[in-house]
Amino acid sequence: MSVATTALHSAQLTKRSVRGRLRQPAALAPAFIFPLFFAALGSASFNRLAQDPYFSANIATSFLNYAVAGAVVQGVLFGATSAASDLATDIEQGFFERLLASPISRVSIVLGRLAASMVVGVTQVVVFMTLFIIFGARVKSGPLGVVGLIVSGALLGLAMAGLMAAIAIKSGSPEVVQGSFPLVFVLLFLSSAFFPRHYMTGWYRTVADWNPMSHIVEGMQGFMNHDLAADQFVKAWLIPLAVAVIGIAFALRSLNKRLAAT
Amino acid sequence: MSAIVESHRHDANARSLDVVGALVRRTMLRVRRMPSAFIPSLIMPVFQLIAFSGAFGAAVRMLNIDPMNWYMPLNAIQGASFGALGVSFGLLNDMETGFFDRVLMAPMRRSVIVFGAYAAAIARSIVPVTFVILVSFLGGLHTPGGPLAILMVVIASVMVALSASGLALGLTFRMRNLGAATLTQFAIFFGIFLSTSQVPLASMSGWLRACARVNPMTNILRFARQGFLGDITWDQTWGGLVAMTLMLVVSTIFALTGLRRYDR
Repeated sequence: MSVATTALHSAQLTKRSVRGRLRQPAALAPAFIFPLFFAALGSASFNRLAQDPYFSANIATSFLNYAVAGAVVQGVLFGATSAASDLATDIEQGFFERLLASPISRVSIVLGRLAASMVVGVTQVVVFMTLFIIFGARVKSGPLGVVGLIVSGALLGLAMAGLMAAIAIKSGSPEVVQGSFPLVFVLLFLSSAFFPRHYMTGWYRTVADWNPMSHIVEGMQGFMNHDLAADQFVKAWLIPLAVAVIGIAFALRSLNKRLAAT
Repeated sequence: MSAIVESHRHDANARSLDVVGALVRRTMLRVRRMPSAFIPSLIMPVFQLIAFSGAFGAAVRMLNIDPMNWYMPLNAIQGASFGALGVSFGLLNDMETGFFDRVLMAPMRRSVIVFGAYAAAIARSIVPVTFVILVSFLGGLHTPGGPLAILMVVIASVMVALSASGLALGLTFRMRNLGAATLTQFAIFFGIFLSTSQVPLASMSGWLRACARVNPMTNILRFARQGFLGDITWDQTWGGLVAMTLMLVVSTIFALTGLRRYDR
């Protein structure tokens, strides 16, 4: 099949996925409520930390400004997991088999879901940014920084959805996908998503230093709290992009294995 | 005549205790048969203890508070509450399979169903609490308030777990679907986090401080934490006792009225 046909099929399936997500507000709500709640909680609990000279000089002007990136990442990860769970539900309920029986590009079955994750990711970043700005957050790097954050959210959504889609296709079980979410949760907590690495100590700090999630979040925090710099793009764009390439490769490999098995 | 009535009452009490014992055994059997449903409630509080004391430790360390001592009671209470929620899942399962209707036909007081579930909730909640306490000792927990500090945290955990069970049972009797457990999880989550879960009241700002001041969980956490932050005093105890008792009474009434509604 030509690239144009694959793109067309992917777009159709993306539309279907996004519509499916919108029809399940209860499944979509946690991806919006929890990150916003944690950001609000963090800024009300730890705002005194912003009075620390190191924090205000090097990290952020307020804890709310610091918490924005963590909330975006958390929301995107929630959303990506739900998208993969929907893919597993398609497999479990037989819709996947019907797609295979139709004259549709095989790759677009996966790409459609992943693109939907990017759409949801972009929506989340826009909604979060709007709310945070209303409540007093400021993007120091200006409009380009906002674009940087939006693209970063989309790429991270793609990356996590790719990895989760690989699990979904391999297992065909939404329970397995949901069951793997705690791993994502661990990755998030053992990073600087909720608190600056500078203040961590011991082995926890070492783990956070090595955790790629810390660097992605810090790239996004750079857009929020500093002037534009190349390292922000490297951290917030290139790391998720690299993970996305690996994730998509795994997802397509799982798809090929499932196709061979059927 | 009064001797006969007394003897019947004694028999009924003995039978009720038997039923409570059977319900506890049944719950623990379910835990043994489906450990995958119980293990997350064991692991998550320990992970959160590590994550909170590791990530947010600096925020309380600035106030000269040891992070492990600050966060352990919070995670013990949280672990106990989520562990106890299993009784709601069990009840729902019994409703779906028809076992619960058979329980209702048994010649016993209806309230035994709720109190049996409470006994099961205690059994389920003690395990994560013990696990959290053991891990915290390995992580450097110390008790300036003496061994009584451990007792205080166990009491707080069990009382909150019982209140959570009462709420979960009341909702399950009314809703008869998984939404009841989800709603209870939300209630526990927001109840705990809108209190002094992360930092002391004095360090909070704005809306959270206003919420935490009126949230009964703040008193309960003060009750549970006091022995890990200093001496145990009546001033820090009575508020927690009142809050726990009120929560338990209200949730028990909610569970019993829910059962009556289901019965109808």
